[in-house]
Amino acid sequence: MGKMVMKMFDKENFVFSGLEGKQKKQGIVLIVCLAVIYVITAFTFMNFLYCFSDCIGSIVCASADVALRDALRSMPIFLSFFLTLGGLMVCQSFYRNESKEIAAKKAKKHAIITIVIGAVIIVYTVVMRILGRYLSLVEGAPSPLYPLDAMLYALVFICLGVGVLVYLKKFSEAHPYAGPSRPLASKKGRFCHNFFTTLWMLFALYGFCGFFYGLFIIDFENGYVAYSIGVLIASFLAFCTFACWELYYNNLKPEKKKDQLFKIALISLCLSVASAVFYFVALKFNLDGPANVGFGILPIAFSASVNIATMLVVATPLIASVAALIKGLVIRKK
Amino acid sequence: MTKRIICILLAVLAVLALAGCAQGIKSSEHLDDYVFTVKYHDNFNILQLTDIHWNANSSAMASKTYLDKLLKQANDHIVSTQGSGAKIDLVEITGDSFMLANTYHVETFVDFFEAKAEEYGFVYTIIWGNHDHHSLYNPNYLADTYKNAKHCLYLEPKDDLYGRSNFVINLTEDGTRATKAVWMIANLDSGASFSETELSPFRDYDYIRPEQTEWWLAEHAAAGEDVPCIAYYHIPQDENAKAWEDVTEKGADYKNKYFKLEGFADNGNEKYASDFIDKAKDHGLKAAFMGHAHNDDWTVEYMGVVIGCGVKTGTELYYAHIDTESEDEAMKAGLKSVGITENFDLIGASLVTLTGSDGSFDLEHLYYNERTDGDFVRWVKW
Repeated sequence: MGKMVMKMFDKENFVFSGLEGKQKKQGIVLIVCLAVIYVITAFTFMNFLYCFSDCIGSIVCASADVALRDALRSMPIFLSFFLTLGGLMVCQSFYRNESKEIAAKKAKKHAIITIVIGAVIIVYTVVMRILGRYLSLVEGAPSPLYPLDAMLYALVFICLGVGVLVYLKKFSEAHPYAGPSRPLASKKGRFCHNFFTTLWMLFALYGFCGFFYGLFIIDFENGYVAYSIGVLIASFLAFCTFACWELYYNNLKPEKKKDQLFKIALISLCLSVASAVFYFVALKFNLDGPANVGFGILPIAFSASVNIATMLVVATPLIASVAALIKGLVIRKK
Repeated sequence: MTKRIICILLAVLAVLALAGCAQGIKSSEHLDDYVFTVKYHDNFNILQLTDIHWNANSSAMASKTYLDKLLKQANDHIVSTQGSGAKIDLVEITGDSFMLANTYHVETFVDFFEAKAEEYGFVYTIIWGNHDHHSLYNPNYLADTYKNAKHCLYLEPKDDLYGRSNFVINLTEDGTRATKAVWMIANLDSGASFSETELSPFRDYDYIRPEQTEWWLAEHAAAGEDVPCIAYYHIPQDENAKAWEDVTEKGADYKNKYFKLEGFADNGNEKYASDFIDKAKDHGLKAAFMGHAHNDDWTVEYMGVVIGCGVKTGTELYYAHIDTESEDEAMKAGLKSVGITENFDLIGASLVTLTGSDGSFDLEHLYYNERTDGDFVRWVKW
């Protein structure tokens, strides 16, 4: 077991091996940036879901006017998620590049989108304040400084976007990005691939937040321990499958990918099945657990009293593992 | 290495499992631990606020402004009808104060009620609704914040009872346990929701469990079998729907009033019908008030008990727009019962005044809408 793990993480397997010092440094800095911005995206996604779930709740209860009022008030929160996604895409443009030219072109496009969304947040907030829809720039809720903090957040991303544009225009010739290349999916089926990857990423973000917040907000003292652990493990696995794919699998050398895929898929499937079984057994003995443990970690899950969202979180690693296993088998046959 | 990791994981799981197995006290052996006492006087005023629903989309500033006006209106009304010494004595907040909220909401909310309690001289008490668990805070944090608030009557022993906010407020002659209870205010946690099976795609609303009923019966017996009681909880139990069915389908002549514009969102399954009102009605229960269904404030006298939904407080999540032109029979019936001839929103508060130690009380519903051309205010007596 230990040897197998060591073999999986052999540095010769990764795209960084054989790179020069500067290239390696750039590549690692990019991975760190990507991981940080991924975490920030997860938090903004949770904020997005919180506001969105409440609006959906109002609509389901036939109060579309309340949903509209709330959506207008929380627009900076909704936009902040897309703003952060814009930042993530800028990083992703370098991370999953096909060539330097395409990477620069895509990064430029996403930086401009990020700047525009940031500007919209600032202008929108100012206009809403002038119109009196915000009673103050620090009206309060969901944070003490809302909506001012949303404006400041937008400003930070505008600065980052401008920074990327300046780099691409003035410094990229002298200091080109020379990190490893991780080509995208082939053009055939790229739309489907991107669609399902995005969906997978959203559930992974959901799982990440569920796990992270769960550590703090789950009430372990009132007899729902097994269920709480089941939710935490399921959420963590949903995140892990995506992180493993993006940060481990996509950093393998192409020839190593073929070797590793089947193994990773098999390990992932075993863990996913074990997690799903544990979750449902725990639920069987804690049927009121979902409502009582501090279920704010999965906001959609309780809206309209449905369990489906939680089940999807449990299913995410299973689906990803089965898909990887099938792909692994196909590659092996070839 | 692998063995060591497995050992650490197993140890962590064992510690967590042991934490979850911690046994609480037996409620039947610690009845005194569930009792607050407050001084009783005739015309003791209880203002019920319900389903305030602060959430991620709420404006704390706007919500506080509304609550501020509402409390002022209630206090002014009490003074104008009962005299200058009268005031709100107890504010009952009957669940769903938060949904998709965070610790900032909780702190702001409790700070607000603490300031108002000082200003008007009331104490307040809070019970859990089905949505109070669904936020970015640990439920224990919410409970501790209530427990530590100076003017908040809240306790939550670690016990064998289902739910969290199960306690009583005995209104005694001198406000201490030394004198006999004149009235009892019972707070019960009607839970949140549960899945029938582990594969159920939906969850059912919870209900007051038999052990809670038994606990209340014991508390009531300890206070005195002749002590009248009003119970507050969040989710309507089966009696609301049964009474509605009797009135609308079987032509029963129960006294009833106000609006019923949606289902009661109760459990609805006979298998989970609560025995609370069935048993409590023979032990001094005079009334039971709840929240949960925002579009209902329908109140009925059923089996000798006044059972009613409180008026939803504030504009969060959803509320009913009362339209005098509506062809909807339920809305027309509600409008006829309250005698209001203009459009308004079904939001505000409910006021119970305990008029005597014989179990008599008055009930009024306050409809309070903020408007730019002067706020809409109507008090409607039961």
